[in-house]
Amino acid sequence: MNRRLFLSTLAFAPALPAAGETILIKNAKILTVTKGRIDGSLLIRDGKIAEIGATVMAPAGAVTVDAAGGFLMPGIVDCHAHVGADAINEGTISVSSMVRIEDVLAPDDIQIYRGLAAGVTTSNVLHGSANTIGGQCSVVKMRWGKTATQMVFAGAKPGIKFALGENVKRAGGGTNFSATLRYPATRMGVEDVVREAFNDARAYQRQRDEYQTRLAKGERVLPPRRDFKLEPLVEVLEGKRLVHAHCYRSDEILMLLRAAEEFGFKIRTLQHGLEAYKVAKEIAKHGAGVSTFSDSWSYKLEAYDAIPYNAALCMKAGVLTSLNTDAPVTQQRHLLQDAAKTQRYGQLTDDEALSLVTINPAKQLMIEDRVGSLEVGKDADIVLTDKHPLSLYAKVQKVFVDGEVYFDREQDIRERSLRSARRKALSEKLKPAPPPAQKKGAR
Amino acid sequence: MLPSGNIVLRNGLIEAVGESVPIPAEAFVVEGAGLQVYPGLIDALSTWGLPTGPVRPAAAPAPGPTPATPAVLEQRIQTLDDGGPEERPSNTSWVRAADLLDPRLPAIAAARNAGYTTAIGFPGTNVFAGQGSAYNIAGTRARQMVIEDGVGQMITLPVRGFGGGFPGSLMGIISYVRQIYADADHYKASQALYAKDPRGLPRPPYDRALDGVIASPRLLLPAGRLVEIDRMIRFGQELKQPLVLYGGAESFRGAALLAAVKVPILINLRWPEAERDADPFVKDPLRVLETRDLAPSGPAALAKAGVKFAFYSGGVERPADLRKAIKKAVDAGLSKEVALKALTLYPAQIFGLDNRVGSLEAGKIANLTVIDGDLFDDRAKVKFTIIDGVKYEPAPEATPESNR
Amino acid sequence: MRRLITAAAFAVATIAHAENFALRGVTIHPISAAEMPNAVLVVTGDRIADFGPKAAIPKGHKVIEAKGLHIYPGMIDSASVLGLSEIGSVRETQDIAELGDFNPQLRTMVAVNPGSEHIPVSRANGITSSVVVPAGGFIGGQASIMHLDGWTWEEMTVSPSAAMQMRLPSQEATVTGRGLGTGRRPFAEVKRRYEEQMQQVRLFFEQARAYQARKANPVLGFKPELRLEAMIPVLEGKTPLMIVAAKERAIRDALAFAEREKVKLVLAGVREVDPFLEEIARKKIPVILPDLYQVPLEEDASIDEPLDLPAKLANAGIQFAFGSYNIERPRNLPFQAANAVGNGLSHDAAMKALTLGAAEIWGIADRLGSIDKGKFADFILTDGDPLEPKTQIRQMWILGKPVSLENRHTKLYEQYKKRL
Repeated sequence: MNRRLFLSTLAFAPALPAAGETILIKNAKILTVTKGRIDGSLLIRDGKIAEIGATVMAPAGAVTVDAAGGFLMPGIVDCHAHVGADAINEGTISVSSMVRIEDVLAPDDIQIYRGLAAGVTTSNVLHGSANTIGGQCSVVKMRWGKTATQMVFAGAKPGIKFALGENVKRAGGGTNFSATLRYPATRMGVEDVVREAFNDARAYQRQRDEYQTRLAKGERVLPPRRDFKLEPLVEVLEGKRLVHAHCYRSDEILMLLRAAEEFGFKIRTLQHGLEAYKVAKEIAKHGAGVSTFSDSWSYKLEAYDAIPYNAALCMKAGVLTSLNTDAPVTQQRHLLQDAAKTQRYGQLTDDEALSLVTINPAKQLMIEDRVGSLEVGKDADIVLTDKHPLSLYAKVQKVFVDGEVYFDREQDIRERSLRSARRKALSEKLKPAPPPAQKKGAR
Repeated sequence: MLPSGNIVLRNGLIEAVGESVPIPAEAFVVEGAGLQVYPGLIDALSTWGLPTGPVRPAAAPAPGPTPATPAVLEQRIQTLDDGGPEERPSNTSWVRAADLLDPRLPAIAAARNAGYTTAIGFPGTNVFAGQGSAYNIAGTRARQMVIEDGVGQMITLPVRGFGGGFPGSLMGIISYVRQIYADADHYKASQALYAKDPRGLPRPPYDRALDGVIASPRLLLPAGRLVEIDRMIRFGQELKQPLVLYGGAESFRGAALLAAVKVPILINLRWPEAERDADPFVKDPLRVLETRDLAPSGPAALAKAGVKFAFYSGGVERPADLRKAIKKAVDAGLSKEVALKALTLYPAQIFGLDNRVGSLEAGKIANLTVIDGDLFDDRAKVKFTIIDGVKYEPAPEATPESNR
Repeated sequence: MRRLITAAAFAVATIAHAENFALRGVTIHPISAAEMPNAVLVVTGDRIADFGPKAAIPKGHKVIEAKGLHIYPGMIDSASVLGLSEIGSVRETQDIAELGDFNPQLRTMVAVNPGSEHIPVSRANGITSSVVVPAGGFIGGQASIMHLDGWTWEEMTVSPSAAMQMRLPSQEATVTGRGLGTGRRPFAEVKRRYEEQMQQVRLFFEQARAYQARKANPVLGFKPELRLEAMIPVLEGKTPLMIVAAKERAIRDALAFAEREKVKLVLAGVREVDPFLEEIARKKIPVILPDLYQVPLEEDASIDEPLDLPAKLANAGIQFAFGSYNIERPRNLPFQAANAVGNGLSHDAAMKALTLGAAEIWGIADRLGSIDKGKFADFILTDGDPLEPKTQIRQMWILGKPVSLENRHTKLYEQYKKRL
């Protein structure tokens, strides 16, 4: 299918390498993130990184891209975004595990293009934080212009959103916008919702097992009703689904770790986890990751002890740490800048800072064999910047996803005037006809 | 097309059509010289003759017991037992349009005046809105008007946000529909097992919400944007239901997708346009402008790609305006021949009614639309319609005010 | 008299604590002149006494060796709510917006909480002064310029009344409610309301003018009216009207309104400014940039909007400064300036807009904004470019006094580092 299917019908003629071509990017400073810096060339073949080295011979038929001394880095992975979806919250109930972001992916959302233009090539599109157990999330590649199915990161482990604290208890706190007061209204109740849900999930799991056993014995037995609310929770219990839990305060973080341990599953990431630094030891011991903001704080009471050193402290404690945007809450175009801020707040090295938005979130999503660093064999998700990407003066020039150019700054700039001219012409054409004027002299 | 011919109708059916069909001696002759006779026009997704608004309010999830709380507050508290799909909210799947049909409603005469003879009406605005029925839009008793009582289950997407109970969001609605279809499968299996030999088995509960779903021969899902066309095709396939989409504002982009899976689509004749009383300073995005510009070219694209489609009245308030709206599609490249089919034969085929309506063939129901010129010519007037063999002259329309 | 308290009086209050000193071996970036490597900066009392490669260090001045480090003037946040807001979602901590449509008599300085955790947090990245701006109704009150150091708001105040904040009635039919999505009101209704409100605004200015005339020739029994009294400096063109206007129509209204009322204008928060660049430049109207951490204004906007706005203004010859608006933002001001540089603004212009340019807009360039003899000793010592996150701010002085860069965040950091 035409890759511009979902885009404007304007016919642009990009002078860019097409999908599937062999591409040699030369004259680049290559920041692999995991294997140091290599000044030289990078070869893309069949959408994968085929070779990296000081000198790489261009195979016959390869398209050469001159990086002009710019920097190559791995495509950015945002472990928490609300982009490219037609719905974010099923906020009516406290356990909404039956809903799936994948059902409502919207590849025509302009935020995908904007994120891509900032070097983000993979996003974990999460359900919102309106309820304790939210919906199923979807890891997508930012393949702007493709269909919803083509956006999905094939092979990424499924996930689910949990949320704790002020957002989920708000509806029970009396200041809600609905007429219904929703349980829970306290952090105690939040724990209860989690434990009740997994208690139900265990019972459902047993019911299914029992059915299989009795069926195997040849008994005449009704199959249990499929419960789309409990099925994903059973997957969590079985370690087949990753839990990404929105949380703020250290008490609730610890509560969730203990509740998960009680039911024998792991929390994969603590999302935001603004007070994670206070319980970093416990988090490391549980094996959860932390995906936090760079410097957001004080926007609500539970964010009053948020500190921009959170990422640095968690990293130091041995916690797998990443930075996320919660886009559109903060923007994907500032994610590199967020990484750079850890150099002021915590004095991280370049590789440490870059790992927060590349290999670490990739590990948190368990897709690090595919993305997150520039290594031979990985997907050719690559960002070209003119200056060092941790400098705020750098601009993203080109972005490759699976070896295909999905963003090109020069092309973007060229298209701006075309688009605005087309928009102007169309709004003229579609202007509603003015009411018929009275004829002069008419009586 | 026959440039000149005779049609013989008897007992409400077409008896013969042809250039030189003999006119039976006992026939009452309607002179048609200079007139164009078309198969009766069909509105493929209609509310004509149906009460508008929700059929009945969605059942609110029952509040669970919270003994320690004062009674007033108790009503407002949603407990852990918080409803969800099993409560079957926003579901009137068992309701049939045929059972709601009211021949006195003014839209019926107005539609007839505009040349329509038949409507596929759908009730309500719930997620499971209910079952559509095909009926002729003339008569004094609903039971005489109905051609087929259950032609499909319509899903709508009333996104209500946080306040109105589950499901409140688009994805909530989708997962709710998914659960209902899974429940329906389970219900069928349980009933089958129980019917074989009830002894030793728990009795499956009576569930009319599932009965309504099971009784529906096809599923209608809404899809305007290309993204939605793609999404709903996949969802329909997942549910393993014969699928019809409705909406189609961006069918000019989605024709290839639809052709690939052979899914028909009903096209809303209310073409997307700028909001009335819009802020003149708000500049619509290019994406929206392009959709507005190209929406009427969708039918031509569908025809070219070989997708079956039909027109429906949708948000067009006055049936008299429908021909103008159809003409836009013709001006955007749709052949008159296909346009006519999208008003007659195609809707009949999509809903499995083509052995009864949709074309002028011997044996079919005598529904005719007679115009003093070309159907797609603005100046041509509907002279009369024949419905179930009865001739209806355009009558003065009741003004909406007088009917409130 | 309402204006007994003068800026000079505040400055004097802190002098007693300052110690005379000189920094040696530093690269000085005066902003008003080219950078000077390996120079000396001399501070006597609360003022910069001398600076340059060969500046003499007077007797009794403590010498601080700072070889390889850089001196920049302290940065000025030209639109903040610093000290007026503590926690976004907690209503009780908000003192930004008063009830009522016309409140020119309000002054932010009296409500600036010197104990706010946001003040030291903002300082940590190099902000030494902040124009604290109210909001609410059409006239929100007077913006005060505050030093980010002082035991009391009196000690902090640099200028009690730098501008009169104003927001003209809106014609936006689309309203975005908090968490409730987007709603749209019929435009005819919006327009009617707008006309009524504009009428009220014009009427208020007429009342103020009438009061001004009455006051000039008072009759027996003349009673001062605080609300109208506060408008006199605006009508006299002494205090600028700071009109917040993002979209094209609002900017057009603001320009027309200032023209009609013959008042001095500062435009704040502009976004859709393209059609007015020439007019703004010609009329020499200063602009306070919007919070640059915002998504592009509309779907079709350039991916660089509004980060490319500062360069656009600079190219048009318009004077501008940076503002934080949001309580979370002040510490990000230098980073927003860096984003502007990444999007076409020169580094010099960015630094100037954070310092001297802002001081010029607010009429305090005689005291603040650059490293110049006789100016307040408000500056920072860094190990590099203060706009880049990699750089560390080493020390800050306000009115010649070393100011701690410790804050809630560094303290929690140190505290919990011990627990790792």
